[in-house]
Amino acid sequence: MSPGITFSEVKKVFGEGASSVHALGPVDFHIEEGSFVSLLGPSGCGKSTLMLMTAGLLKQSSGTISMGGGEVIGPRTDIGIMFQDNTLVPWRTVRGNIELQLELRGLSTHERRDDIHRLLRSVHMEDFADRHPYELSGGMQQRAAFCQAMVHEPKTMLLDEPLGKLDAMTREGIRRDLQSLWMQEKPTVIFVTHSIEEAIQLSNRVVVITPRPGIIEKIINIDLPFPRDFDVKNSPEFAAYVRETQEIFRSYGVI
Amino acid sequence: MASFKGNRFLAMLLERARHSWMFVAFFIGFFLFWEYSIVWFDIPRYILTPPSVVIEKGAADLDRLLYYTYVTGLETTLGYAVAVILALPLGLAIAFSSILKRTIYPFIVCIEMVPKIAFAPLFISWLGFGLLPKVIIVFLVCFFPIVLNAILAFNSLSEELTMFTRSTGSGVWRTFFKVRLPAALPQCFVGFKYAAINATVGAAIAEFIGSDEGLGFYIQIVTGNMRPDLAFAGIFFLTLLGMCLFGMVTLAERLLIPWHISIRRAK
Ligand SMILES: Nc1ncnc2c1ncn2[C@@H]1O[C@H](COP(=O)(O)OP(=O)(O)O)[C@@H](O)[C@H]1O
Ligand SMILES: [Mg+2]
Repeated sequence: MSPGITFSEVKKVFGEGASSVHALGPVDFHIEEGSFVSLLGPSGCGKSTLMLMTAGLLKQSSGTISMGGGEVIGPRTDIGIMFQDNTLVPWRTVRGNIELQLELRGLSTHERRDDIHRLLRSVHMEDFADRHPYELSGGMQQRAAFCQAMVHEPKTMLLDEPLGKLDAMTREGIRRDLQSLWMQEKPTVIFVTHSIEEAIQLSNRVVVITPRPGIIEKIINIDLPFPRDFDVKNSPEFAAYVRETQEIFRSYGVI
Repeated sequence: MASFKGNRFLAMLLERARHSWMFVAFFIGFFLFWEYSIVWFDIPRYILTPPSVVIEKGAADLDRLLYYTYVTGLETTLGYAVAVILALPLGLAIAFSSILKRTIYPFIVCIEMVPKIAFAPLFISWLGFGLLPKVIIVFLVCFFPIVLNAILAFNSLSEELTMFTRSTGSGVWRTFFKVRLPAALPQCFVGFKYAAINATVGAAIAEFIGSDEGLGFYIQIVTGNMRPDLAFAGIFFLTLLGMCLFGMVTLAERLLIPWHISIRRAK
């Protein structure tokens, strides 16, 4: 089996009998190691479901998922996950929340003080290390949650709508930081979003998922140079990708 | 620097006063009304006495009042402490065991419907006038709110946090102490506080039903002797006792989960 992540005939049905919900699939595709792949689709199409199955936190009804050459059969501890609702705990500071990831893994927090500081600086949060989550804006909370999800330096990251609840300007700033971090470390990233522009700006490939039951309508390779700043976003090529994606959702009556 | 701090303190006091002067005024007004309405409406002293007389006569009987406060305080504290010690682990066990959730839990919910105080005469007839039946009544009154809130507390960890801990490979105990327990504490304190408010009620009623000491006993006896002044003095000490217990629980909450208090205040 190849490195990266492979989905074969992956399907998910919630519940049984008459009240069962066919949420997703069958889904077949492959994600190359070190690439940034977006799962793009309207809400309810099964993006979170697919992500949780990849993490081994939810069992697929049929099919197999393999990661790094091994089949996913239970919770994977070698990845970093940002859940749709962040997992910052209110009783710890930003630093404490980042350390929680290490402590739960039985890793020393003391040895990694400098790493944590560097990580916080890379998302411009070094001045907020000793604040509690409730003292932070939504954008800062997501930055903190991002640090929590990657402090153990995972080679694979699953990000479920990390910018979903933020305003446009805050999103723009975090996208830029996210992109530069990805370009430095080159982890494999699965990025869940319902924003067409965001998916195209950040990804090597955009996996377009249809409304429920979610299946892959198309996988679009985005051949634009990184880093993708405003110039790239204003280019005709970028506009063409946006149009291509919009066409798909229009044909499904989503937009 | 010191004067700057002093100014800040003064400013804080003024701010407090500005917010609460209406309450203070109302409070004082209430006692003034009580004091003088007895004269205005010509209420006989054996029915109601003014607060000034309550203070005077209460002070004269202070030794007895203090000793009875101690007696009732002991019953309350013991019953409450035993309730916490037994209810918390049981709540925890029920929250994490599907078998207990289908057996003991519905049983507890049923018993919760029964007014616990109704058992008081039975316990007193079985166990006599002493300390034990009162401790048991206080225990019964406190036990259920603590258990039920603990079950709720330990069952309400968010789906995301549960999955987060699983994705770290953390063991049961580590997950418990680092995530589940702190997450559950605010809801546990809802139960602790509710029980604390009701503990003195349980003790007083148990004493009404059968005892030869304690504040409930005192209030009953002096009322029978047409001494409402002393009854009010007894009620005052009973209130004080309840406030002390509640204050201690609130203090524990502030020490154990200061973050929760800050969030509540921020909202
Ligand atoms: N635990 C569950 N039980 C039943 N249905 C579920 C459950 N989780 C998700 N679903 C359904 O599966 C579909 C996909 O959900 P989800 O993966 O959360 O979508 P998305 O993340 O794309 O918004 C939705 O229609 C949702 O209602
Ligand atoms: Mg989702």
